[in-house]
Amino acid sequence: MEKEKDFLKPEYYENRELSWLKFDYRVLNEARDKSIPLLERLKFVSITSSNLDEFFMVRVASLKDMVHAGYKKKDIAGMTAQEQLDAINKDTRALVELQYSTYNRSLVPLLYNHGIEIVSAHEELTPEQAEYVDHYFQENVYPVLTPMAVDASRPFPLIRNKSLNIAALLTKKNEKKKETEFATVQVPAVLPRIVQIPSSKEGIRTFLLLEQVIERNIHQMFLNYNVLCAYPYRIMRNADLSIDEDGAEDLLQEIQKQLKKRQWGEVIRLEVEEKIDKRLLHILKEDLHIAQEDIYKIGGPLDLTFLMKMYGIDGAEDLRYSSYKPQRVPQITPGEDIFAAIRKGDILLHHPYQTFDPVVDFIRQASVDPDVLAIKQTLYRVSGNSPIIASLAQAAENGKQVSVLVELKARFDEENNIVWAKKLEKAGCHVIYGLVGLKTHSKIALVVRKEEDGIRRYVHLGTGNYNDSTAKLYTDLGMFTCSEAIGEDATAVFNMLSGYSEPLSWNKLIVAPIWLRKRFLKLIKQEVKHAQEGKEAFIKAKMNSLCDRDVIAALYEASAAGVKIELVVRGICCLKTGIPGVSENITVHSIVGNFLEHSRIFWFHNDGREEIYMGSADWMPRNLDRRVEIMFPVEDERLMDQVRHILGTQLADNTKAHVLQASGKYEKIDKRGKKLVNSQEQFCEEAKNAVPKKVNAYQDRVFIPAEPVE
Amino acid sequence: MKITTFAAIYIGSYEVSLKIFEICPKRNMRSVDYIRSRLELGKDAYNKGFIGYELVEELCQILKEFHSIMEGYKVDAYKAYAGNVMRVASNALFILDQIRFRTKIEVSVISNSEQRFMGYKSLAASAQFEKMIQKGAVVVDVGGGSMQLTLFRKGTAITTQHIELGIMQIWEKLAKIRNMVSHYEMQIQELIDKELEIFKRIYLQEKDIQYVVVMGDYIGEMVKGFSKKEEDGTIETERFLKLLKKWHRKSPEEISVELNLSNEQDPLILPSVVLYKRLTEEMNAPYIWVPGVNITDGIVCDYAEANHMIRFEHDFEKDILSASRNLAERYHSYSKHTEAVLSMGLVIFDAMKKVHGMGKRERLLLQAAAILHDCGRYISLVNQSECSYQIVMASEIIGMTHLEREIVASIVKHNAMPMQPYKSVNDKMDQESYMIVSKLTAILKIANAMDRSHKQKFKNMKAVLRDRELMITVEAEESIVLEKGLFSAYADSFEEVFCVMPKIKEKRVFQ
Repeated sequence: MEKEKDFLKPEYYENRELSWLKFDYRVLNEARDKSIPLLERLKFVSITSSNLDEFFMVRVASLKDMVHAGYKKKDIAGMTAQEQLDAINKDTRALVELQYSTYNRSLVPLLYNHGIEIVSAHEELTPEQAEYVDHYFQENVYPVLTPMAVDASRPFPLIRNKSLNIAALLTKKNEKKKETEFATVQVPAVLPRIVQIPSSKEGIRTFLLLEQVIERNIHQMFLNYNVLCAYPYRIMRNADLSIDEDGAEDLLQEIQKQLKKRQWGEVIRLEVEEKIDKRLLHILKEDLHIAQEDIYKIGGPLDLTFLMKMYGIDGAEDLRYSSYKPQRVPQITPGEDIFAAIRKGDILLHHPYQTFDPVVDFIRQASVDPDVLAIKQTLYRVSGNSPIIASLAQAAENGKQVSVLVELKARFDEENNIVWAKKLEKAGCHVIYGLVGLKTHSKIALVVRKEEDGIRRYVHLGTGNYNDSTAKLYTDLGMFTCSEAIGEDATAVFNMLSGYSEPLSWNKLIVAPIWLRKRFLKLIKQEVKHAQEGKEAFIKAKMNSLCDRDVIAALYEASAAGVKIELVVRGICCLKTGIPGVSENITVHSIVGNFLEHSRIFWFHNDGREEIYMGSADWMPRNLDRRVEIMFPVEDERLMDQVRHILGTQLADNTKAHVLQASGKYEKIDKRGKKLVNSQEQFCEEAKNAVPKKVNAYQDRVFIPAEPVE
Repeated sequence: MKITTFAAIYIGSYEVSLKIFEICPKRNMRSVDYIRSRLELGKDAYNKGFIGYELVEELCQILKEFHSIMEGYKVDAYKAYAGNVMRVASNALFILDQIRFRTKIEVSVISNSEQRFMGYKSLAASAQFEKMIQKGAVVVDVGGGSMQLTLFRKGTAITTQHIELGIMQIWEKLAKIRNMVSHYEMQIQELIDKELEIFKRIYLQEKDIQYVVVMGDYIGEMVKGFSKKEEDGTIETERFLKLLKKWHRKSPEEISVELNLSNEQDPLILPSVVLYKRLTEEMNAPYIWVPGVNITDGIVCDYAEANHMIRFEHDFEKDILSASRNLAERYHSYSKHTEAVLSMGLVIFDAMKKVHGMGKRERLLLQAAAILHDCGRYISLVNQSECSYQIVMASEIIGMTHLEREIVASIVKHNAMPMQPYKSVNDKMDQESYMIVSKLTAILKIANAMDRSHKQKFKNMKAVLRDRELMITVEAEESIVLEKGLFSAYADSFEEVFCVMPKIKEKRVFQ
């Protein structure tokens, strides 16, 4: 017991927020990688920026809440909330610094070399360009602007979360007294942030940011005033919803109510341009009630997410990766009976290398199949205009029993989900709005079919959401099966989600929040046992985040016992490698590539009787304790081999992988003398090669002339 | 090959469950979905004697959902039964009416013996069962409030006993002292031992039990860990006990985790472990079998049998006869006379077929009645009618419905006294049953009269129906004056029922 306690020492753990920031660093690192096409690098900068926004709205916000509430408990790394905020502040500033130096010093000049010019300030425009901009302002921008002045009778207006605004100092014209007034105007989100303007040189495309267009013309809005100065600023508010579920009679209404409140959350970050006027900054600071340490002075355009738009500009194909078309799944012929294909054996789907279409098709075919009795599915994040939703509604209209669990509590998708939920309900589906106190994060779809030899259940289990758009960007694994054991469990899952009793026991599926943590710990312990007996023991796993204290402690124990542990962790990793006697046998890789790594694989050696699982859960407390998650075993030998290959390739990746060092830094692998492995590229190739070649049916057809009978 | 989708609904004291089955004549039945909803009807029923409207409301809601699930599966047929909880609820009729009205589900209330019989049928549907009972087996059906022990020897049921000892009940009985004792499991054990001892003393003297067959909650999870099983799916009792002994002293939490139970602190797990441990120890059988079936499986077997979708290898009628014989033996009333009455009764029954219009089942009841007709003498020679009736009513005979038992008991009772008018028994049975009782009693009385001396004087009896006369031809070696003389008194009552006059024709045989 004494020994076990050892593994819980705070110094063995990394703080999760700081680890997250390291992840954002790794993404930014991609933007600095000269081997990557220029526009792709822009995209990575944009991602770091939007990541950081979300991080502040959710994580920093809740730390602030803790500080306000006087919450003194330390995290696994032994830091109080205030200590964490201080450390985050320091690291964030460094990150932002790097972001902008990357943008200003490498990307903007490089873009110019490639014929794309971003004019950084309206003052630099040529007269012709200026004329165009003024005209553009009059025609397009001016009609949608709402300038707001602040004075005794007009209080400081509500500044919307994440919106870009321009603050200005004004003085009345024709007045002797030089009393300054404050005004603010929101940069309209309905207009494109980047405006293409005529170029001064041949062969160059020139862009100007919308806020520069407005800044240049700001005097147009305040005709009776002199504009002393105008600078853009941006705020971030506390966005973590706190929902009183026990008291909330109707979860739907409660969430709608909370969404309205989100725009009123406390301001936790203020971004302003570096050169902002001191008086202006002072006014903002006072009226937004923000502390000095939460103000970020930015040396460049605020909100770099506009770079995603830059990424998508027409032409310039040579500056982007050629777009990859998800390949056909070899076992499933489009347009043919998908159920027949599943009956031939379990099918593994690897997105986005393989297309997500079969999953959409699975529901679509079920909705019109006269033999299908019921369709049951969980939906967490759904794409706009989702074909799955349409099929589910269609199925209900066709008289099938359709049960859909729509998770209303999916962060930032709440509004979206409410719309779908209502739509489905109207179509006659039985809609379950999640469970009180738990988020339903599991991804499972069940089709019950009445066939000639009885009822058969087809199940799709996955690591990613039923979202056909993100399936093109996120790497996820899915499995189709009609195994009876899993079918029974799937039925039981939906019975449980509908409020009926849990099954007495499960055949195959492992379900959080009740059983999953125990199972993981048991699986790890099992390896410890084998290692202690001198047998080979290893754990290979891939996930998005690793920050559960119990799991990490178990991994330390396993490592100490001699279990070889190889992990691929994309984001947060609170585990530290290379601690003598604790984690010397653990390696942590992190792959940041063109696609977002999202699949979760858990592979245990188990003395030769290998066990491989996939699922929706990370090794995070929230996944193991506060969510409904499903982990499922991969048992078909063929599929096991496929999954082993996938995880093996990812572990071998030396192009896109960073390795966590004992120092806590992530470093790229020294590639010298090694065969280059880029797992994502390799999977793309493999998926292309796996598609069966088209056979020329025409050649096979031969007319056989009848011979005369002797 | 038509597949029937069938739904079985059972309303128990703490759970309402729906199980969807597929019945296919050439394949075994397959359970497709099992939906359980916790609803503690027992709380009201056992404490207040009736079920309050809130619970009824909830029950209707659940059944309504069940109904829509059944529609989703497009079920061809369903059966809905309620057990003990409705038997004790004084407002059961109203509840059933509400259910019918609101959910369109017809629920019937079944007696303990019917309920157990269904469970037993689900066992009989499996192939191993027949082999096991040939070698001697005890079937233990453990419920929340009670359990049923059924003993089999040589392929037929010997006895079935209802013991008021269930998992939930043990837990509640010990609720008050649970926190006062350090060895809670010892208290459970004592409670169990007391109940089991008598059964063991009466029925388990001979050491010929090979198998303990256990039906009940939790046991399925307990045996799940045994990957190595005997060919027929049984487990060596020793190994099973070893496991249970390991758990014996663990906390419910630890056991729940080990069993992978959904409820981490299942309070009923410890009583179950101790109960199963003691049961297996006491039965002293080398093997234990956990078939993993419950009442809903029984409901589907019962339905499938009634609709000729499955046939049982096992002969349930033989069970009735062997259990009756065993009962008669226990009251020292089984003799050559019994056998003579039995065989003569059957000859008459068969000869009278055209007149009485009764079938195979009634013939079986006649046999049971003939076997049991003297059992009351064990208690009182004078008051034997009433005593016989009481003995039959107090004993469960597996395979008989409650009404059938009433019929047999009434036949036995009226065998030694004049038949009573219907109005005196109309609270116990309907007119149809009354007619069966009357007819079978009349036959039994004649058969009994023919061996009045208990000397089996009649040999090679034959009976032929001619017009309005039943000609009974017998061979006798000695004087049958007594029998002939007393015969006429019973012949009148026989004629009253059937409008047929029985006559004895003697064929004297000299050696």
